[in-house]
Amino acid sequence: MESLFIEATEATPKINLNSDTGIFLLAERSLPENAFEFYQPILKWLNEYAEEPKEETIVNFKLDYFTTSSAKQIIKIFLSLEELNNTSKVSINWYYKKEDVDMYAIGLKYSKLVNLNLQLKEF
Amino acid sequence: MSSITGDLDYALELFRDMQRENLSYIYRGIFSQKITDNILSLAEGNLTNVGESSTVKKRVFSIMVEGLQNITRHQDENLINEKDRTGIFVIQRKGDNYFITTGNLIDKNHITKLTGQLNKINSLEKDELKKYYKEVLNETEISKKGGAGLGLIEMARKSGNKLAFDFTEVTDTYSFFYLHLEISRSKDDARKDTDKEVNESLKSIKGLHKILNKENILLIFNGIFNQDSLINLLTIIEGHMSTKINLRKRVFNIMVEMLQNIVKHAGKGTVESGNPGIFFISEKNNLYLLNTGNYVLNSKVEELRKKIDYVNELNETDLNNFYNKSLFNFEIDSSKESGLGLIEIRLKSQNKLKYTISKVDEQFSFFALQTGVN
Repeated sequence: MESLFIEATEATPKINLNSDTGIFLLAERSLPENAFEFYQPILKWLNEYAEEPKEETIVNFKLDYFTTSSAKQIIKIFLSLEELNNTSKVSINWYYKKEDVDMYAIGLKYSKLVNLNLQLKEF
Repeated sequence: MSSITGDLDYALELFRDMQRENLSYIYRGIFSQKITDNILSLAEGNLTNVGESSTVKKRVFSIMVEGLQNITRHQDENLINEKDRTGIFVIQRKGDNYFITTGNLIDKNHITKLTGQLNKINSLEKDELKKYYKEVLNETEISKKGGAGLGLIEMARKSGNKLAFDFTEVTDTYSFFYLHLEISRSKDDARKDTDKEVNESLKSIKGLHKILNKENILLIFNGIFNQDSLINLLTIIEGHMSTKINLRKRVFNIMVEMLQNIVKHAGKGTVESGNPGIFFISEKNNLYLLNTGNYVLNSKVEELRKKIDYVNELNETDLNNFYNKSLFNFEIDSSKESGLGLIEIRLKSQNKLKYTISKVDEQFSFFALQTGVN
């Protein structure tokens, strides 16, 4: 299957889902007018990837900021990754900037809320 | 969790005044290139969204550009500290006219020369003004400050009216220079005098400026809210804030959620342009007060009230639990709603949300929301 790449804008994150390497990236900031719509193709892509995944999947979150409506979509990504974890070894790196207490706290919260191997990493 | 000291009554009063006056947009602070660009696109977008004609739009826009250049040119002077460099930019629409006001500090030594220039410009008729522009353009070598009053002549020509101006003493060395222009939306060839009306309107701006200084209000936007204006507003505030990252981020977070609430839920708007509303932000001793005002359908008022009262009553632990529960509640998950915004605003501000809802007519109420972040 084809990889999915979406360039960042001032309101939407950079998305790089590489089906060849099984390494995914969500970066920068996410405040789209319509988060539900923006994340639809990403969720759909993940479903298709799960049919024939790499042995290992690494998901890097390097987000500066995201809205609550994006948070809900990100949770849906996590749930989809939980599913994927049955067929591919999924690990998640949640990156935060050193001084960014907020992004660290969110990562910590998510590590408790979802049943996945989630590492907090400074960048 | 503490309670905020901000005065919602004052906020509401401002809302009401702005509604009546149809005041559009005020920025008070440092004018960086990035901030200036966003001020311009915010105003331009708003002119488009209210359906202004392209002729008027062009005239208003070019006067704004000149006015903003005036401010940025003068704020570079070696003034004592940042606060003293605070300029002001105001654009208002009242009935059939637009008013643009710029204000900046100037060295008192420049007052006589500037007054002379302005009086000269005001004494000229339309054709004479055109001639004078060419004269000045040919004669003067453009100085470092790009000036010689060309900008002023251009503004006078574009507005078609005389320039109202005033000086207010600030220190022994500096005065605040106000320039106030009226732009008629209907094409009218005769130049109007700086009549009583315009001077009155400048006087009211000076009064408003006093309040803005006292409350340290950074920005007021009364206009159409959509994704574009949201991004412009965020960029302006982001560029303005020099506080430490965590406070800055929390203000940013809350601001996005509050503005998105207007974009997604406010009434009286259109799908094509956006929803009408008001936003303003002030800062005192590192307490930021964020205020929004917008219309809501009367039929939605009860639900809104319940939601806010509910999150206001929760303690931090319960709020966090409620947030997590709502995060996984996919019954509320659409392009319109995630059910998290108000909880997030309450969590991030760590203060209770202040609000009022007042009935406007049979269909709509006005909803004012204030969040304090410190």
